[in-house]
Amino acid sequence: MQLGATSLPDVPAETLAGLCPPRLTSEKIQERLSYIIEKDRIAGDLPRRFLEVFAAILQHTNYRQVIDNYARIPARCANCSCACQIYQRTNAPEDVPCYRSDLLLEVYRRHFTLRGIVEEHLRITPLLTDEYILEMAETYYHCTACRRCTLECPLGIDHGLVTHLARYVLSEIGLVPRALVISTRAQLEGPTRNTSAIPWPAIADSLEFLEEEIFDDKSIKVKFPIDKPDREFIFFAPVSDYLMEAETLMGIAVTLDAIGLGDAWTISSEFLDGINYGLFYSDWILERCLREEVDQAKRLRSQKILIGECGHASRSAKAFVKTFGGGRDAPPVVNIMELTHRAFKEGKIKFDPDVVTERVTYHDPCNLARSGWIVDQPRELIRAFCKDFVEMTPGGKWNLCCGGGGGTVSVDELRPYRTHVVGSKKAEQIAATGAHYVIAPCANCKKQLREVCQDNGLTDVEVVGLHDLIYKAIVLD
Amino acid sequence: MLESWIALARGPLLRLALFAMALGLLRHVLLQVWEIFWALRRAGDQVVPWGLALRRNLEWLLPWRYLQRKERRLYNFTSFIFHVGVIVVPVFLAGHVAIWQQELGISWWRLPGSVADWLAVATVVAAVGLLLGRMLNQASRTISKPQDWLLPLLCAVPFVTGFWVAHPSWSPLGLQAVYLVHLLSAELLILLVPFSKLVHMVLFWTSQTSSELGWRFPPGSGERVRLSLGKDSEGV
Ligand code: SF4
Ligand code: SF4
Repeated sequence: MQLGATSLPDVPAETLAGLCPPRLTSEKIQERLSYIIEKDRIAGDLPRRFLEVFAAILQHTNYRQVIDNYARIPARCANCSCACQIYQRTNAPEDVPCYRSDLLLEVYRRHFTLRGIVEEHLRITPLLTDEYILEMAETYYHCTACRRCTLECPLGIDHGLVTHLARYVLSEIGLVPRALVISTRAQLEGPTRNTSAIPWPAIADSLEFLEEEIFDDKSIKVKFPIDKPDREFIFFAPVSDYLMEAETLMGIAVTLDAIGLGDAWTISSEFLDGINYGLFYSDWILERCLREEVDQAKRLRSQKILIGECGHASRSAKAFVKTFGGGRDAPPVVNIMELTHRAFKEGKIKFDPDVVTERVTYHDPCNLARSGWIVDQPRELIRAFCKDFVEMTPGGKWNLCCGGGGGTVSVDELRPYRTHVVGSKKAEQIAATGAHYVIAPCANCKKQLREVCQDNGLTDVEVVGLHDLIYKAIVLD
Repeated sequence: MLESWIALARGPLLRLALFAMALGLLRHVLLQVWEIFWALRRAGDQVVPWGLALRRNLEWLLPWRYLQRKERRLYNFTSFIFHVGVIVVPVFLAGHVAIWQQELGISWWRLPGSVADWLAVATVVAAVGLLLGRMLNQASRTISKPQDWLLPLLCAVPFVTGFWVAHPSWSPLGLQAVYLVHLLSAELLILLVPFSKLVHMVLFWTSQTSSELGWRFPPGSGERVRLSLGKDSEGV
């Protein structure tokens, strides 16, 4: 059953010429997938390299047992297609989740199972061609890895996992959106240590400015704690919160202050960006980002990792800090909404219900809600300060993805696809609520939902974070 | 002439098919368990929600989950009936229990004849229904592979012929011919189990756990992959 990768049959190029689709030049690839990484990285024999990488990954990871299972059992019942908002919108066969996953599974069958290898050698044309690989590169970045379809598969096939693995293999042969690589490079290897490449002095300035803002708005002195040792929480938020989404950060600082945790948290000036694109395309990156977080926690002797309003940053830390941060000894991971919610239950926060009078709805980030982790907490908080709260349907665990999940929101070239295809159901959902505020406690979702609203003519909608509104409604004594 | 064929099909061929199936399935199970064991050993986070995985499996075995939603409700319900039929009839039909007793020396509860008849009919109807459901749904139709079409048909053959064996007056063919087709088609199916998607009868039980374990990464694996690809000195 489980053998090493075979290379493609050694047939002379001339014999193949008439049978195979022609080799694609890197210019052709660029033309088709303009958002894919630098040209010079994708020269050479793509199929051969794809198989080498696939083999190496199967050897060193835990994917083999699950991929082998998936390759053998699919019922092809199409239950998953009913759950996927892309297929529901396009009705295109290539958007059926099971079809998409089968692209990778078929490569596995053909090259890593005994029967497949025999089959592959009996054919003249190979399965894996440049064209086939490009199809994968395209389609695995159409799927947002929202994992809604997984809830519907009777056999428990997790298409989010297959998408993750496929992207991992593709990324190691250089097929990965440029936007993700450039951000990650800045975060892990650049001088600024964050995905937006903002130098620390600029961030420090911004924090000082926010402190003044808070004083102007609320007449209280709140300090952003920087590099304070021995605090309970070390805080990571997407770097955009420090500049573009500052209201969220101000809300968080004020809330922590109000619940008596003002001296219990710290930001690290060395590494403060919670973004982890590794969750979307590479285990290697995932591990490196999380090790940075754990190292900072160690450096400042913080006991817990606190993640701001961000779906993928929260899930990657929650699910993988244990994996890469020392198993049971790893620091626990908490999301800010959990903390605020707990304080609210303990009666430590009071809200003025007359501040936010507009209608509010809540968007569940897939990475928080799909597993049922954070669903009710934000709703309880919202209900406490807002009289006109309307749910989107479906919501909670069954939410629809904003349309920019899986890192695709960072890829500007995909915007029309994100807003008109993947996000169109979301636009309908939002319009149906008639809400003015859409709360989306996630930097990615916020960016995407703003674009969805713009491109779908929802001009009255304002997309905000949860702590943005808490900032408005909180009562400080 | 037919009689000796029947004797062959009923005796050695049946034993061979069952033996091959058992061996094939055992291989799948052992490999799967082995892989899961190693995956768990390597995982940096070894906390696996076994209970949750099992619960999800059980949830999908019972029909109430998909009766609650409207998409593909009929299809899924048909599939439920089909699965009940293909499991219960071969194992609990009185005539079969007699064979099991003769071959294995153990015996168990027998399905009353009339129930078996109805269940057999329902299974055949369900098999046809599954094919229709596959044909009429665009998504399902386009992702289907040959075995998805052939297996329900092949499953229906032993049921139809079995029904005729029990009720020869309905049968268009002679009893012996029908019986032979019944035996051979059933044996072909049994033989195909480890080599087709029918293997889900054993792999289904671990698929949810496998998925969970798929998300449990071994620490350092990313680095090792880069190393074995000779990319250890390259940056992001
Ligand atoms: S629900 Fe599962 S078995 Fe059915 S088509 Fe989708 S992935 Fe395949
Ligand atoms: S993970 Fe989401 S986008 Fe991808 S196939 Fe499943 S439902 Fe569709």
